[in-house]
Amino acid sequence: MDLTPLFAKYPFLREAATAFVVIFVDIVALVILLAAARERHRGDRGWAKEGHGFMLACEGEVYPLGAAEILIGRHPSADIRFSDSEVSRFHALLSLSGGKWQIEDIGAQNGVAVNGHRISKPCTLRHHDAIMIGKHRMVVIRGTERA
Amino acid sequence: MTKTAKPLSHPFLLLLVLLAHTAMMVLVVLSFGLNEEVIKMACVILTFDFIGSIILQFVQREACTVDTVLLLVIGMSTIYQSCFGGLEFAVKHFAFGIAAFIMCQLSYVVTRNPYRAERLKPLWYGIFFILIFVIRFLTGSRGMWIDLGFITIQPSEFVKPIFVLICASSIHTQLNKHEIAGIHFVPDNLMVIFCTAVIAALQWWCRDLGSLPTFVAVAGFGFLLRFCYLREKMSVRLIVFLGLCAVAAGVFAWKLAPAYVQERLHSNIWADMSGTGYQQVKALTAIAEGGWFGKGAGNGTLIHVAASRTDIVFSTICEEWGLFTGMMTVILILFLPAAVLTVPPRSYYHSGLAVGVAAVFMVQMTLNIFGSCNLIPFTGVTIPFISQGGSSMLASGILAGFLKAAQAPVLTDRRSGKEGK
Amino acid sequence: MAAQNSKEKLPRPNAPELDVSAPCSMRRAGKWTALLLVAFIAALIYLAYTLITESPYYMAKSGAATYGIVYDRTGDVLFDGSQPLTNYPAGQFADVGNLIGDTSGQMSNTIVARNLTDLANYTFTYGNSAGTASLETTLSHSANRAVYNAFGEKNGAAVAYNWKTGEMLVCVSKPCVDIAQGYANLETMLPGSLLCKAFFPTVPGSTQKVSTLLAAYQYAGVDRVNALEFSCSGKWINAEGAAINCHQASGHGTQLLPEAFANSCNPYFAQLVQSGIVPLSSIIESYTRMGYSVNGNKAEPLTMDGITIQPASTALSDANNFETQWGALGQGKTLVSPFQLMLWQGAIANGTGSAVMPYLLKSKTSPLKEVTPIGKAVMTEQFFTAEAAKAVQDVMTQNSTNHYYVSFDVYHCGVKSGTAQVNDNGREYENSLLAGFCLDDQAPVAFCILIEERQSWDISTAQIARTLLDNVSGLS
Repeated sequence: MDLTPLFAKYPFLREAATAFVVIFVDIVALVILLAAARERHRGDRGWAKEGHGFMLACEGEVYPLGAAEILIGRHPSADIRFSDSEVSRFHALLSLSGGKWQIEDIGAQNGVAVNGHRISKPCTLRHHDAIMIGKHRMVVIRGTERA
Repeated sequence: MTKTAKPLSHPFLLLLVLLAHTAMMVLVVLSFGLNEEVIKMACVILTFDFIGSIILQFVQREACTVDTVLLLVIGMSTIYQSCFGGLEFAVKHFAFGIAAFIMCQLSYVVTRNPYRAERLKPLWYGIFFILIFVIRFLTGSRGMWIDLGFITIQPSEFVKPIFVLICASSIHTQLNKHEIAGIHFVPDNLMVIFCTAVIAALQWWCRDLGSLPTFVAVAGFGFLLRFCYLREKMSVRLIVFLGLCAVAAGVFAWKLAPAYVQERLHSNIWADMSGTGYQQVKALTAIAEGGWFGKGAGNGTLIHVAASRTDIVFSTICEEWGLFTGMMTVILILFLPAAVLTVPPRSYYHSGLAVGVAAVFMVQMTLNIFGSCNLIPFTGVTIPFISQGGSSMLASGILAGFLKAAQAPVLTDRRSGKEGK
Repeated sequence: MAAQNSKEKLPRPNAPELDVSAPCSMRRAGKWTALLLVAFIAALIYLAYTLITESPYYMAKSGAATYGIVYDRTGDVLFDGSQPLTNYPAGQFADVGNLIGDTSGQMSNTIVARNLTDLANYTFTYGNSAGTASLETTLSHSANRAVYNAFGEKNGAAVAYNWKTGEMLVCVSKPCVDIAQGYANLETMLPGSLLCKAFFPTVPGSTQKVSTLLAAYQYAGVDRVNALEFSCSGKWINAEGAAINCHQASGHGTQLLPEAFANSCNPYFAQLVQSGIVPLSSIIESYTRMGYSVNGNKAEPLTMDGITIQPASTALSDANNFETQWGALGQGKTLVSPFQLMLWQGAIANGTGSAVMPYLLKSKTSPLKEVTPIGKAVMTEQFFTAEAAKAVQDVMTQNSTNHYYVSFDVYHCGVKSGTAQVNDNGREYENSLLAGFCLDDQAPVAFCILIEERQSWDISTAQIARTLLDNVSGLS
């Protein structure tokens, strides 16, 4: 089924065929794009599993722990940010490592306390642990996944 | 909260890839007739799609965008490469495509845990300096190639993924400050600057500054992310300052560039159509002849021009398949780095990797496509996954693995059984 | 789960819904990537735009395109790239070969060579099979051919354009290549066949006196110059002791300027230069404004539809110097192209001192039959003052009425003739020139005729000018 002579006679046939295929491949690309947009769901679920669904509750607000490293401090680039002067610019670092959430004092002037004890080395966090950052009390809670 | 956002099933996507490849094959059949070579090519590519998707189905179901796009692009580029100027199944290209796909999975496994990937930094530095050593002392006549007889390796391509690994950094690394004589510094940042300088020096020695923009971009974006972490949020003033610095550096480099670079910067291809401008003139004419939908697979003539499968591959595709297809292919590759827009990374190190890979892919494509089309000076760099060349293919596969890692991180060390619940 | 804010207020903090959205620090990677993507895609769109709009240029430059047709003002074909030129009647292109040119690449300063992209039958969407592109010129092929034939055995050049609209009507350069014959006989072709002499500087002879007179009028005033008296005894010895000869050996006696201009009296004009009534610096300044390259100073070449016209040049060092006086009389080192002589005539004819720039391309038609007008009347810069232009116009029309009545009886013309003494690598001969204009509404043209090596029994420039006027009359 050599179609070359046919195409030589009607060049637009080949162009039409190419256009059709190219547009089809484009549609495939678009669907992949759509699939990629919906991957967020999968990513979030994966992360919920990695992070055990932990969140931080503080003064009526809930902070999601959406990354392996969460900086707490007065600095504008901190993800959990307090603006009062009792909080250092780089105060504490929450990190997820080896399947556990840990909190670490990264040079806070007023220190970091977990369940009332000031910590000097990284401290593993559990459900309902209370963290003091300056005068702010934060509680580790586990979110409930909606079905 | 969007409850409707259920992801499309993985098998469905891979079926689409299969269909896309089949559609392209139909076009090849329309051009060449249904001969043995076409059947061979179709069987091999479609089988790979099928097996690849089954393996992924059982092994790794996250980050399917990267895998799907990778499968699609590898098959497409094999079809392109097989049809240039006549049908001959590009076995070698396809084999490297499969190898790149495997490399992607391997590099994913190595880097999916950002802590572990960063802990291995001494190893990355080691590999980096070994590669530099190899390029400096073992490659033939400044060509950056090692000839092993049955295969030639271009070690400089592998420097790219390693450099991306070096340039990414976590917040812990940035907090590790040292002080000498009252000056605070982060050792990791100094190392990155040092490595960049080493690469620049090496490229200068090799008389091939083509890849330098790629490395500078990776280092530049690495630093941008670093400054974002612990300095201010990017203030307008800082951005303006950095922009001015970049412009000044560019002007400085422009003025100080050696003679052979100056020649490239100022050459007018239309004034020397049979000399220095030959490739680009041919490439541009080929695009013009191809029009929107090309001359048809296998009908191109650009294949007779040097580097038609590598440096000016965009034009070769445009000639046979049309500008529309060429653009679409380029945009398809952009899907890989664009994946971080939908599934954000979950750690600073992975952020760094994602931006680094985006920089490599986009700078490479910019240099290749815009260079061959005479909008910027022409340099001999490759388009990831599309250009022929095993080293480039494998390195791109490794880079794609980083993107996958950023999308589906695993922080629990599964080997030691510490999986928390 | 996909809450956009990193902070979310909830009424019951003890039983919160799980939120694992990435904090803003993690979104920075996305932001930088998005920035890169946007920049890249913007550049890609620009690339596509550039490729599509410039693709006819690529095709034309690399010789991969096929080409369309060049028409004259009535639709007569001057070049056809779509079929063999031998399909046309013999001699169809004999008079326009070195002006219109062809796609062979043998000639570079031609309409086709300079507008190859517009003549390419190529569009990005339809490729080379899009249709036939064409260029419509203002040339009158019938007039051009008549003038070409009028040269008979002689060689030379003739240019004419409508000084009101700028349309080029006639542009002949003889000998001329016949593009239908090809280039197989390139070796035996007459020298100069491949270039249009109208665009190349040549010795202007006494037509240069127009330029000198314009300088004088502008500096010293029309009345003062017209009242100047110098005598001619057939030979005049200048301050350096060198002799300036008059073409009339017996001399013209004492004359006023209009007479001397009509007589084309060399001693009169040499005395004008040496007298200092018009300082040499003013002559240089006036020449420079007209577009001369004086004493090696750079002058911008003129262009018409991509065709380059080399600028006039001369060397003037000292008012008492023979070479300088000789140059101001249009001999020696002075060189002017017929095109530029015609252009100045245009500025004299309209009485403003600024000419309408001639153009040859009226419009272009794309392969898809879209017509784009190209040619339009654009004024040149001010070459000289309107007052001087009008005064020179008077002197020239007077000259025409008194001395060329036989040639131009029905036309209201102004002319200046010239005899150029050419030394072509030791071979000496005389060219005959005539620059002028016609003021009639029927034929508002400025022209310049050049006959090479004319002998007294040959056809005269005025006869060719008359042929020209007869053929372009009524065209506008």
